Amino acid sequence: SVLLVRHHSVRPPFCCHLLLAVLAVLAAAAAEARGTAASQAPGAAAMGTGTPPSPSGTAFEETRLHVFTLDYPHVQIPFEITLWILLASLAKIGFHLYHKLPSIVPESCLLILVGLLLGGIIFGAEEKSPPVMNSDVFFLYLLPPIVLDAGYFMPTRLFFENFGTIFWYAVVGTLWNAIGIGISLFGICQISAFGLTDITLLQNLLFGSLISAVDPVAVLAVFENIHVNEQLYILVFGESLLNDAITVVLYNLFKSFCQMRTIQVIDIFAGIANFFIVGIGGVLIGILLGFVAAFTTRFTHKIRVIEPLFVFLYSYLSYITAEMFHLSGIMAITACAMTMNKYVEENVSQKSYTTIKYFMKMLSSVSETLIFIFMGVSTVGKNHEWNWAFVSFTLLFCLIWRALGVFVLTQIINVFRTIPLTFKDQFIIAYGGLRGAICFSLVFLLPPSVFPRKKLFITAVIVVIFFTVFIQGITIRPLVEFLDVKRSNKKQPAVSEEIYNRFFDHVKTGIEDVCGHWGHNFWRDKFKKFDNKYLRRLLIRENQPKSSIVSLYKKLEIKHAIEMAESGMISKVPSSVSLSEYHEGKIKPLSPTEMENMREILTKNLYQIRHRTMSYNRHSLAADANEKQAKEILIRRRHSFRESLRKTNSLSRERPAAANTKRFLSLPKNTKLPEKLRVRNKTSSRVGDSSDSEMDATTTVLNLRPRAGKILREQRLRQQRPPSEFSMEWKNEVDGSQNGQGEQQEPGSLPQPSIGFRQPLLTRPRFGTLSREDLTADHGLARPVPPPRLVRQASQGERQRSKPENQPY
Amino acid sequence: MGGKKPTGVETKEGITDMLFFFSSVSHSQITRLYSRFTSLDKGENGTLSREDFQRIPELAINPLGDRIINAFFPEGEDQVNFRGFMRTLAHFRPIEDNEKSKDQNGPEPLNSRSNKLHFAFRLYDLDKDDKISRDELLQVLRMMVGVNISDEQLGSIADRTIQEADQDGDCAISFAEFVKVLEKVDVEQKMSIRFLH
Repeated sequence: SVLLVRHHSVRPPFCCHLLLAVLAVLAAAAAEARGTAASQAPGAAAMGTGTPPSPSGTAFEETRLHVFTLDYPHVQIPFEITLWILLASLAKIGFHLYHKLPSIVPESCLLILVGLLLGGIIFGAEEKSPPVMNSDVFFLYLLPPIVLDAGYFMPTRLFFENFGTIFWYAVVGTLWNAIGIGISLFGICQISAFGLTDITLLQNLLFGSLISAVDPVAVLAVFENIHVNEQLYILVFGESLLNDAITVVLYNLFKSFCQMRTIQVIDIFAGIANFFIVGIGGVLIGILLGFVAAFTTRFTHKIRVIEPLFVFLYSYLSYITAEMFHLSGIMAITACAMTMNKYVEENVSQKSYTTIKYFMKMLSSVSETLIFIFMGVSTVGKNHEWNWAFVSFTLLFCLIWRALGVFVLTQIINVFRTIPLTFKDQFIIAYGGLRGAICFSLVFLLPPSVFPRKKLFITAVIVVIFFTVFIQGITIRPLVEFLDVKRSNKKQPAVSEEIYNRFFDHVKTGIEDVCGHWGHNFWRDKFKKFDNKYLRRLLIRENQPKSSIVSLYKKLEIKHAIEMAESGMISKVPSSVSLSEYHEGKIKPLSPTEMENMREILTKNLYQIRHRTMSYNRHSLAADANEKQAKEILIRRRHSFRESLRKTNSLSRERPAAANTKRFLSLPKNTKLPEKLRVRNKTSSRVGDSSDSEMDATTTVLNLRPRAGKILREQRLRQQRPPSEFSMEWKNEVDGSQNGQGEQQEPGSLPQPSIGFRQPLLTRPRFGTLSREDLTADHGLARPVPPPRLVRQASQGERQRSKPENQPY
Repeated sequence: MGGKKPTGVETKEGITDMLFFFSSVSHSQITRLYSRFTSLDKGENGTLSREDFQRIPELAINPLGDRIINAFFPEGEDQVNFRGFMRTLAHFRPIEDNEKSKDQNGPEPLNSRSNKLHFAFRLYDLDKDDKISRDELLQVLRMMVGVNISDEQLGSIADRTIQEADQDGDCAISFAEFVKVLEKVDVEQKMSIRFLH
C-alpha cells in the first residue's frame, strides 16, 4: 500500500488539472453553443425544413451549397444532456483518482463544488442565471433511479424487523421537525425587526416541511468507513425512504392549504386521511406491480436479454402510476423494488441479475451526480434574497429540532425495542440528518404567486444544504471515531492478536447464524407460510427453496472455481506430509520488520466476517469480495469433506464392499473408469438441473460398489501417500464432470502425481447442488433424480455408504 | 467450583448449569430459541444432527463452520437435544453486571470468562489433550486465511503465535497460556450474543 500511495501522488495533480481544463472548455463550449443557438433559432425557423440554415441567408436569396455547416438547434437538447452527464462523470473520475479524498470529503461535496464552478463559468459567459433544473425533470427522471436503487438493495428482513422504529422516526420525526421548525420560524418572523412579517404561518409550515426532508446519501457514503452496526444502518436508510414520501405529502398538503382561502376543520381531517391514502395507496401499487414483474420474469427464460428491461420498466411504471393518482411515487417504487427483488433474483439468469444491479447503480449514480451539479449551478445566479435572520435561524432550528426530535423519540421508542439505541447511535442519527436534493427541488417548485418571498426560501434552503453537506458531512467521520474511543487502540505488537480477534468474530458470527434471526414473529411466520405455499409457486419458475448463497453457487462458473482450486488450493491444504517437516524447538525470534510483514499478510488475507447486510454503496457492488471469499471457503470445505468422507468410507465399508462383490458379475469386465467415476459423482450431484443424469441412471447402482472396492484396494496400496490420495480424489471429480466430453482416463493411471491436471471441465453446478439439496425440506425421498432413489432402495451397505455422500455439505 | 471443565455429560453440575442458565434467561428468549431449534430439526425427532447444522447456509461459508458445529455435539455423539443445544449457546450469554460480583461459592456459570475461553480453546484443540499443538493451530489458521498465503508463511505465523503465547517452552499452547495471552482481549464482549434480535 505504500507503493500505491507513492504512485498515485505523482499522477493526480496533473490529471486533475487536465480534467478541470477539459471541464472548463466543455462548459464554455456549451455556453457558447447556447448563445449561438439562440441567434440561430430564428434563422432556422425562417428557412423551414431541408436545407441547413446559413447564418446569412434569407428566404429570398439563393444560397450556395454549404460545405460545412453547424446545426446546433437540431441536436441541442440531447447534446446538452449528454454534455452534462459527461461532465458529471468526468468530475467523478477526477474525484476518485485521489485515493485519499473520498474518505475525507463526501462525494456530494465535490459534486456541488463542480456545479458551483460550472455555474460560475456559465454565469460569467452569459451574464445571466444558468438554467435552473426543471422540477418535472427532477421528479420524473432524476429521482426514481435513486429511490429504485435504494429500495432494491434494501435488506428486507432487517428492514421489517425494525419497521416500527423506522416508521416512528420517519413519520413522527418528520412531523415533529416540520411543525417545530415552521412554528419557531413563524415566531421569528413575528419580530418586526427582521423584516419578515409578511410570511404567514402556513408559509412557514410549508417551509418547515420541505426543509425537514433528510437526505442521507452523503451519510450512507460515510457509513461504510465508520462501520456502524446494522441496526443503525437500516434505521437511517429506512428513515430516508419513508421520510421522503412523508415530506412530499406534507408539502403538497400545506401547499394546497396555502392556496385555499379558508381552512376548515374538515380540511385538516381530509389532510390526515389523504396522508394515509397516499402512503398506503402507493405501497399497494408498488406491491401489485412488483408481483406482476415477478410473474413476467417467470417466463423469460427464452429471452434472457430483455430481463433487466422488465425490472426497470415495471418499477418506473409503478412510480409513474402512483404519481398519476397523486399517490406517493417513492413508496410505490420502493415497495415494487422490495417485492420484486426476491422473486426476480431467482428467475433471471446470473448475467441478467448482474446487469440489473450494475445498471441500477449506474442510473442512480448519474442521477445523483446530476442533481448535485445542478444544485451547484443553480446556486450561482440571481435567485437569491439574503436575510441574515431568516437564514441563520433556519439553520439553527434545523439542527436543534433534529437533535431534540431524535433524542425525545429515542427515549420513547427504546421502551419498545429489544435492543435499545445508545447515545452514540442517537448522535449519528441526529448528526446524520443531512439535507439534499429533495428539499432543493421542492423549494424550486413553490409557486411564486403564493410565495412572494420565494427567493428568500431558496437562499435559506441552499445555505442549509451546503452547511449540512459540507460541514456535517466532512466532520461526521472524525466525530464518530472520537466517540468510539473506548474501543481501545493498544499498540500491542502481537501478530497473534489479529488471529484471535478474527477467530472470535467468526465464532460469534457462526453462533449467531445458528441462533438465527427468526424472531418469534407471528406475522412474519404467517407471511412466510403464505409465501411458500402460493407466491413462490406462482412467481418462481423452478420452485426450489434456496437461499441467496445457494443460488450464488448454483450460478457459479465451475470452470473458474475448479481452476482456482487446482492452482491454489491443493498445495495449500496442510497435508500430513508438510506438517511432518516441522522440527521441534526451532522457533527463531523474529525481527520487527518480519513481524510487520506478518501482520500485513494476515490483515490482508484473513477472511472477513460475513456481513449480514451489504453496506450500501452507491458506487460498487460490495458482493464481489464476499463472493470470492465464500467460494474459497466452500471449495476448501468440499475438499476436506471429501477427504474425510473417503477415510470413513474406507474404514467402515470393508464388509459391505466385500459382501457385494457378486454384483460385479453383471457388469462388463472392463468397465471404464470414467463411467465408474461418473457414477460416484452422480450420486453427489443430486439435483437434476443437468440433463446428463438420465443416461447413467441404470448403470449407477451397479457401478457403485466396484468404486468402493477400488478405493479400498488403492488405499491399501497407497497407505503412505496421503497427498496423492487426495489428488486422486480430486482428479476423480475432475474426470467425473467430463462425462459429456467423453475424455477417457486410463484405469491404471490413478496413482499419478496429480497436482497439475488441466483438463477443461464441464460447467455443471456441482457445488451448488450439494448445498441446494440440503435446503429442500424433504429427506431426499422425493428427489427428482433417479440414482439416489435407486441407491436408497439397495442394500444396507449401500445405503450406509451413500448416506455420507448424501450428507449435505 | 471455579475452573472446572464443563462436560457434556449429564452430571449434577451440568444440570445445575442449565438450571442457572434457564433461570436467568427470559421466557421469550427460550421460546424463540426453541422455535429455532425445531425449525432446524428437519427430522422432527427432537434432536439435531450434523446435517441439520450444515443446512444453515451462512454456516457453510463461515471459515470455522465445521468446528462450531462440532462444538455442539458432545463427545462421540451425533445428535444433540435441546438441552445440549442450549448448553452450548449458554456460553454466549452476555455477562450481566450483577453477576460479576457474585460470590464464588456456587458453580461457575457457563458464560463466565473462563468458560467462554474454554469453549474457544476446545475449538482449537481437536484431540482434547489440553494443548494447542502447532498442527492444530495450523489447521485453524489455514481455515481462516485465503489462498494467497503459502504454507511456509503460514507456518511462520503459527510459529510466531506459539512463541508469543508459550511460556513453558513446550511449543504448544496450554489453556493457562491461552488465557494469559487473551487477558487484555475483551472476551466477554466478543463472545456474547444477544439472543433476541
